[in-house]
Formats: sequence, C-alpha cells, structure tokens
Amino acid sequence: MKRAVAALMVLLISSIGLGGERAMPETIHEVKAKHAPRFLALPGVVSVGVGRDAGGAEVIVIGLDRARPETQASLPAQLEGYAVRVQFIGAVKAQ
Amino acid sequence: MAHDLDSVRAALVKSRSRLLPQSNVVATGVGYKVTRGRKTDALSIVCSVTRKLALRELAPRDQVPANIDGIPTDVVATGVIRAFQERTARLRPAPGGVSIGHRDITAGTLGCLVRKGGQTFILSNNHVLANSNDAMRGDAILQPGPVDGGRFPGDHIAALEDFVPITFLEPPSECQFARGVIAVLNAGCQLIGSRTRYRTVNIQATENRVDAAIARPLEPALVKKDILEIGTISGLGTGSLGTAVRKSGRTTGLTAGEVLQVDVTVNVQYGPGRTAQFSDQLLAGPMSQGGDSGSAVLDHNNRLIGLLFAGSENSTIINRIEHVFSELGLTL
Repeated sequence: MKRAVAALMVLLISSIGLGGERAMPETIHEVKAKHAPRFLALPGVVSVGVGRDAGGAEVIVIGLDRARPETQASLPAQLEGYAVRVQFIGAVKAQ
Repeated sequence: MAHDLDSVRAALVKSRSRLLPQSNVVATGVGYKVTRGRKTDALSIVCSVTRKLALRELAPRDQVPANIDGIPTDVVATGVIRAFQERTARLRPAPGGVSIGHRDITAGTLGCLVRKGGQTFILSNNHVLANSNDAMRGDAILQPGPVDGGRFPGDHIAALEDFVPITFLEPPSECQFARGVIAVLNAGCQLIGSRTRYRTVNIQATENRVDAAIARPLEPALVKKDILEIGTISGLGTGSLGTAVRKSGRTTGLTAGEVLQVDVTVNVQYGPGRTAQFSDQLLAGPMSQGGDSGSAVLDHNNRLIGLLFAGSENSTIINRIEHVFSELGLTL
C-alpha cells in the first residue's frame, strides 16, 4: 500500500513538472534557434529566420538557393505550433 | 473637384515662371496631391522646396498659394538638388556612400564615420577594409577602391585600424572516421527508404554576427560626416520586422527596402568554396549589388540601424548596428 502511494506521489509530481513546461511555450525565436542547425545542414538551405506571413503572423522562414524538391519534401509545414514558410532567396554572397 | 492632366499642365506652364524664382522652390511639376501622408486622386501642381517652412516665416512673394487657377498645389521637401555625384570618383572630403577599399580588393562602400576613444574612424566591412581577414593594422585603404581606379599612394585615404575576424566554415571534414560513420548512416537511410542524407562538417568555433572593420583617416579633413543623398545620422536605432530602411551605396546609390526577416541565420559565400555563417542578421528585400557592401543602413528618421554586407537576387543581408558597435567598441 505504501509503495502504491509512493508511486502515485511520483506520478503526481512528474505530471506537475510536465504541466509547468506546457504552461511556458517556447517563443518562435527559441524554436527557430533549436531547429536552424539541422535545416542549414540540408542541401540548398541558405537561411533560417523569422518573418511575417501575409496576415501579419510571425512565421519561421527557410531560404533556399533554388528549387530543391528533395530538401523541400523534408521540411515541415509547422514547428512546435509555428508555421514554416519556404522562400527562394538565391545564393547569398558577400557584396 | 479633380482636374484633368491637360488643364493642370496648362496651369503649370503659366505659373512656372512665377513659382521658380521664389527663394525656396527648386522644382515644379504635376503630381497627385499627398494629404497627411496619403496619396489622393487629385492632380496638383507640385512645388519642390529645399525645406518646408511655416507661412509666417516666408515673405508673401515666396509663399506658394494653396491653389493656382483653382488647381491645388502641393509643397514637397526635396532638399537642394545637386548635379549627380560620381560615387566611384575620388572625393575629398569623402562622404558616406562612395567607393572605398583595402589596396588588395576590388571596391566596397564607405559606410559612415564612427568614434572610438575620442577619434574618428571610417566604418565599413571586414571584406572591404580588411580583405576578409587577410590584412594587417596600418594597411592602406584607397578611395576610390582599386577597381574604380584608386591607386597607392595618390588615393590613400586611411589606414586599417581594427576588424572583427570572420570565422569561415571549413570544407567537408577530412576526418576518415567521421566519413566512415556518415557512409554507414547514409547506407542505413537508403535501406529504410529515407531521403535524408548526412554529411560531415567541421563545427566552427564561434558564430559570426558582423562583417565589420574600421580605418583611421590620414587626416580628419579627408572625410565628411554626411552620407550621400541621405545626410547626417540622427542617432542609433534598432531594426525590427517591418522597419523601412534606406542605404546609400557605391553601386546602386540610394535605395529603400523593408526588414522582412529578423533573427536570420544565413550562410554567405565569400568567393568559391568559402562560406561563413552569420546569426542574428536582418534580411531586407533586394536593395543592393556587388560593391554596395559596407553601406550604412538607416531607418526613415535617419537613425543608423545596420551595416549592409551581403545579398542575393532577392535579398539583402544586414548586420545589426548594435553588434557592430559592441564588437568594435564604437560610438557615433
């Protein structure tokens, strides 16, 4: 019986912990920072930033050097609740 | 009541000789009247003036009437109109927005003047003033840059003072073990039908935030505070999504754009096979070309918000001025 109570307490405490995390969602900048390195390692990805969609909502924008069907197919439409847009910005060069 | 173009033109031709001699008027034309910052659909006689003044500050003969023959007038401040100044020419004193460069490069843009330790310096990019890290303090800076005919010693304007080194991404790893691991991973991906492929890269030690350098003018009188077609900097600002910006550069002159992305991490090519990754950059629409690097980027209140250094067919990449100033220890 004591063991069951202890197990219940552990469950309860861990669920409070999870709840706490859910109450503090990550900002779009935190989500972008977390995922940018893996996108930038994909062929043709030249940039990852935060922009706005036509409606004014903040979105994560992934810039490609040109049409890259394989890379595009592997990019998500959303990341942790934030929309992801793909833009062809071309190769970026020092000017 | 809206007037047709012909009647407005006729009124302009008749009144032009009366308007142009007025002390403040520099040009006249026909255009849509702008009221409270918004273009209306009423044609008007546009009088461009050096600067807008209150009516009471003007002698009656220098006042532009509210309407001429019933056609509304519109007074627009354009400043003094000067003959086009060649940005690739040798200019003394040299303002911001003109050609400059380290003696071993092609040319970039003189951004603006900044202060450090009570002295005045020229601000531009590392790849303009410090040849992408391949330079030493004291190296000759030419105005115009070498590709525009700048030669040493005749066009020597400044000496390289300081730059923030750029960390370049290493080419694919030479590590045999890493390549073996990657080969196994990619074979595994192929087996399970995944399109993902891995590649080896060397991790760079630090991330870049700026491509910036400063040079010390040989004499204070060789440079000037103004930026061509922009004027003087009013202070420091911060770029955020939607900020309207302008730059004055060697190649494309005065251009305007808007900050479309912030917090941008971007891979920038510095010649064949040489790439550097920059973080916390601003991205604007296309407003620059090769040779514009080093241009100061200002908002519409003439606050300095960034340093232009890279771009593609449809983007311009800008360092935040906060990072430029903190990494080089600068003030305005």
